Amino acid sequence: MDVSSCLRGPSWMVGSKRMRMASNFRWLLSTLILLYLMKQVNSQKKGTPRDFKCKTQNLQVWNCSWKAPPGHDGVYKVCIENRPHSCYQSEKGNVKIPRLPPGDHEITINLSRGLGSSMSKFLLNEKNVYFTPETPEILTLSADFPTSTLHLKWNDKGSVYPHHSDVIWEIKILHKENTEIIKLITHNTTLTGKDTVHHWSWTSDLPLECATHYVGIRCYIDDRHFSGHKQWRSSDSQTKVFPQDKVIPVGSDITFCCVTQEKVLLAQIGQTNCPLIHLDGENVAIKIRNISVSANSGTNVVFTTDDNMFGTVIFAGYPPDIPQKLNCETYDLKEVICTWNPGRSTALVGPRNTSYTLFESFSGKYVRYKRAEVPTNESYQLFFQMLPDQEIYNFTLSALNPLGQSESTILVNITEKVHPHTPTSIKVKDINSTAVILTWHLPGNFAKIKLLCQVEIIKTDLVRELRNVTVKGVENSSYLIAVDKLKPYTRYTFRIRCSSDTFWKWSKWSNEKQYLTTEAIPSKGPDTWREWSSDGKNLIIYWKPLPIHEANGKILSYNVSCSSDEETQSLSEIPDPQHRAEIQLDKNDYIISVVAKNSAGSSPPSKIASMEIPNDDLKIEQAIGMGNGILLTWNYDPNMTCDYVIKWCNSSRSEPCLMDWKKVPSNSSETVIESDQFRPGVRYNFFLYGCKNQGYQLLRSIIGYIEELAPIVAPNFTVEDTSADSILVKWEDIPVEELRGFLRGYLFYFEKGERDTSKMRGLESGRSDIKVKNITDVSQKTLRIADLQGKTSYHLVLRAYTDGGMGPEKSMFVVTKENSVGLIIAILIPVAVAVLVGVVTSVLCYRKREWIKETFYPDIPNPENCKALQFQKSVCEGNSGLKTLEMNPCTPNNVEVLEARSIVPKIEDTEIISPIAEHPEDHLEAEPENHVVVSYCPPVIEEEIPNPGVDEAGGTSQVIYIDVQSMYQPQAKPEEEQENEPVGGAGYKPQMHLPVTSAVEDLAAEDDLDKTAGYRPQADVNTWHLVSPDSPRSTDSNSEIVSFGSPCSINSRQFLIPPRDEDSPKSNGGGWSFTNFFQNKPND
Amino acid sequence: MKVLAAELCLPPGVVPLLLVLHWKHGAGSPLPIAPLNATCATRHPCHSNLMNQIRNQLAQLNGSANALYILYYTAQGEPFPNNLDKLCGPNVTDFPPFHANGTEKDRLVELYRVIAYLGASLGNITRDQKVLNPNALGLHSKLNATADVMRGLLSNVLCRLCSKYHVGHVDVAYGPDTSGKDVFQKKKLGCQLLGKYKQVIAVVAQAF
Repeated sequence: MDVSSCLRGPSWMVGSKRMRMASNFRWLLSTLILLYLMKQVNSQKKGTPRDFKCKTQNLQVWNCSWKAPPGHDGVYKVCIENRPHSCYQSEKGNVKIPRLPPGDHEITINLSRGLGSSMSKFLLNEKNVYFTPETPEILTLSADFPTSTLHLKWNDKGSVYPHHSDVIWEIKILHKENTEIIKLITHNTTLTGKDTVHHWSWTSDLPLECATHYVGIRCYIDDRHFSGHKQWRSSDSQTKVFPQDKVIPVGSDITFCCVTQEKVLLAQIGQTNCPLIHLDGENVAIKIRNISVSANSGTNVVFTTDDNMFGTVIFAGYPPDIPQKLNCETYDLKEVICTWNPGRSTALVGPRNTSYTLFESFSGKYVRYKRAEVPTNESYQLFFQMLPDQEIYNFTLSALNPLGQSESTILVNITEKVHPHTPTSIKVKDINSTAVILTWHLPGNFAKIKLLCQVEIIKTDLVRELRNVTVKGVENSSYLIAVDKLKPYTRYTFRIRCSSDTFWKWSKWSNEKQYLTTEAIPSKGPDTWREWSSDGKNLIIYWKPLPIHEANGKILSYNVSCSSDEETQSLSEIPDPQHRAEIQLDKNDYIISVVAKNSAGSSPPSKIASMEIPNDDLKIEQAIGMGNGILLTWNYDPNMTCDYVIKWCNSSRSEPCLMDWKKVPSNSSETVIESDQFRPGVRYNFFLYGCKNQGYQLLRSIIGYIEELAPIVAPNFTVEDTSADSILVKWEDIPVEELRGFLRGYLFYFEKGERDTSKMRGLESGRSDIKVKNITDVSQKTLRIADLQGKTSYHLVLRAYTDGGMGPEKSMFVVTKENSVGLIIAILIPVAVAVLVGVVTSVLCYRKREWIKETFYPDIPNPENCKALQFQKSVCEGNSGLKTLEMNPCTPNNVEVLEARSIVPKIEDTEIISPIAEHPEDHLEAEPENHVVVSYCPPVIEEEIPNPGVDEAGGTSQVIYIDVQSMYQPQAKPEEEQENEPVGGAGYKPQMHLPVTSAVEDLAAEDDLDKTAGYRPQADVNTWHLVSPDSPRSTDSNSEIVSFGSPCSINSRQFLIPPRDEDSPKSNGGGWSFTNFFQNKPND
Repeated sequence: MKVLAAELCLPPGVVPLLLVLHWKHGAGSPLPIAPLNATCATRHPCHSNLMNQIRNQLAQLNGSANALYILYYTAQGEPFPNNLDKLCGPNVTDFPPFHANGTEKDRLVELYRVIAYLGASLGNITRDQKVLNPNALGLHSKLNATADVMRGLLSNVLCRLCSKYHVGHVDVAYGPDTSGKDVFQKKKLGCQLLGKYKQVIAVVAQAF
């Protein structure tokens, strides 16, 4: 592909209009002057040189020329008047003369021809000289196709000009030669008196491959002048799409072209179609604005022809972000490692990815970041070799990709940024049983600094201890420290990490190293106790194995010895697993010594006296534990100078009983006894011993439970005695092992119930039929249950309880004996009552015999005194054959009997009865349907009642019974009801409507009268059964029908017997009844 | 095994493949001289059931060819998946011919040429895609797996030719080197090659 520039002369004029007009004016003025002069010359002489004019390209030399007369060949002599050495000869029509100073100069041109000559004179002024600069020389015109940039380089030839001057360069870019200017710019420079090469670059929107580009340049100094131009052109004829593989920033605009000989049908970027821009021939272009970020493989831009697709790939991404969190440190003071975070992704990968350069400004050295070919989780880091004697580093990390670059700087004192490697090769060596030497290796050149190291010491029991040590750094060597204050015969785990003493970061922990320190002699004698055997002849000595921190090694054996004032007796060595020895001793006081031995030596002896100090004042107490232990307290006793010992054992075990013991300092007054052997619900005996003068004295004896539980058995109980109303129950103690706590009492339940049908259900639910007795006196072993019923089955339940809960229940069924006295009383009382009733009845009957006789057995009337018979007699007078009353056929009679209340004055009866007696028929007719009119069947009337009034009414008589109730009735009648019934409310009311009120009033109150005036029960219905059915009472109107009942009553017959004597007040009693019997006092 | 090479003009992606196959530096493209009656010596005895192995390898390649093709053109971005006919059509010039109706010997020789051509091209594609699509690990893995099978197949075919037909050398030709081409050309040539591979391997697998 060639590139050429085309330089042109004055064929195109582009320049300053102002300059152009000035030059024209001068030119015109000069021309006029010259024309004037020529006219003068020509008018004087013809055939002489004419049209003299001068021009210059460099302002140093004027090139003057003239037109020679035709046919006049010869030698011209050009002289400048008034100047020495100013004549020049020329055979042609021009001559170069040095630059003349400003002002008019007379020029003489002599033409010598053979023997003759001619001369012409001209006036020359600098103003009439044309200045056309040298043609600019385009040194190079190059194209950078990937960036579509043209680079132009030319020489201003400044050395030919005598002085500095400004130059205006005009550069134009054309697509089609001389026809289409796509870019025109001006470029200003200054002439410096020497040749200067100028540069100018231009980036094309259209890829340079897409079309032929032309570049032209001209300059203007004092006059216009055109320069030539060069051109380039691509000669590639294959279809191609440009630009290729270009990397551009996201959001930028870009033009693609397809240089092809085929017709392009479609262009698209990705899947998006783009409008075509037609260029030369079949070439087309598309313009993409605001391009979006590309995928890893780039953005495809394709041009589609009939049978093929051509394309290119563009990579739109971002310039590199500023590296973030740049940090530089060293592991070994040999190499600096700088790490950073790249920040925003550039979306460019592979060869377009960001490259990093770490530059150190003091040394001028740098390192470049090399990316792994296979992408992984990249850690952005660079290693920089440290320089000797340089501690301060000024790092600049530059990030660069095709779209730009960025950088980040950091200034570090590298000795303060030491992050050592992990210590290795940990070794431990003995010094003694409590100190070791620890060595490790740490790579790095730390000779100039101190290292701060941390030793982690973990004991067997996982107690962690950290110790800091400062060691002087060395170069690639091992470090050594002594670790003391260790425990003998203890397994330790060591590990180490280091930093610089100007702490920056700890290294990682080294691997762990375990070490067992050597043994030392046991620091204490074993904890010792002694018990006498049950026969009191042997002393059994117990001791506890030493804890590891006191044993200081593996205990091999124990030495036991006993000494008295007289002798010392030593037993043979007892190997370690055995912690007990038995010595046969008398009752003298001995001191027993126990010594533990390991490979390092023997422990100090533990001593204990064989005899106890007696204590007469000893009581047994109770104590309850806390679930996992039991708290024992005692009063401080200054006499106890040694220590306290609490021993304990299971109370169910036989003597000598010793589970364990515990020693407490003498200044203590309480301790918590804990043991894995403790079990809830088990009774233990605790013995508190005080120590004074190596002798132990039993101070307290305590029984207790770690935790109380409910009894697991119920108390056995039996019934000792049973009577008709009581039961005596007796029970036994529960064994201690089954009690599982301190007995707090018994609960005794009893209820009636049979064995098969009754069960003591829900004892705790508070059933009312269950009686409970809580026996809190645990010494009580019997219980008498009283107030029972005879010959009744009772269900008895007994259960014990502790603070741990209720024990199970035990039940029993008991039947009480029969109650004979009650039976006798039950028989005698009814008999006595019956006798008493009979006596009372007899007395009453005796005292009322007259009344009874009159009532129940009246004298039979003499029929001769009967009016009826008298009537019959008169009727049948003359019939001597009839001497007795003919009863058959019997015509029923209506009998109306009015009975007045006893409390009502008798005169009222008279008043009320009278109207009825006077108008019986009217009343019956007025209320023919009134049910209060009761018809009595004559057959029930056993005795004929003589009634003159009725007889007067007609031959047939009807008995109407209207009961006038006894004295109860006013009390049963509510007062309100009386108010509502004004008619019937006042005292006695007849059971028929009585015409006491006016007829008008009767009509108005007819409805009411229906309810009130007729017969109604005069007492509450409920009282009916108490009184005689022959005395129905009116209660209220509502009960008029439903409560009436049948008026037919056999008893009523008794009341139909008229009193013996109407005048007798006795007859007003209304007949006999129990009511009367009790309330109406008899006449006596 | 001996390779006669007239010219040592090695496409970059082919070198590793040839080194593995021929164990001699200097193998190149093309290998013009391959006398069928040349002395044949195999480094190891051939497998007893070689043809079965060849068939299995062909079946394995045939079974994975379409997935590889899809994975490839998907990774190239649009508009490749929607313009397979123009961008990924099997328009591969100089692709070795294969005649399914030939003798077994001829078919094996042609198969050798086809696999050698494909193996070299696959090397180019793998190299290009590692640069162009460094994060497409699935594609890289499948390309490598295919290339591995092809290497084994090529060895087996040569073993068969050598042991049964005493053919120790087969002249082969390789496709164009894509290292100097622009990215789009690399994508397009790779897609065309894989399209051709998918088409040819089906025919070849059927022929055996």
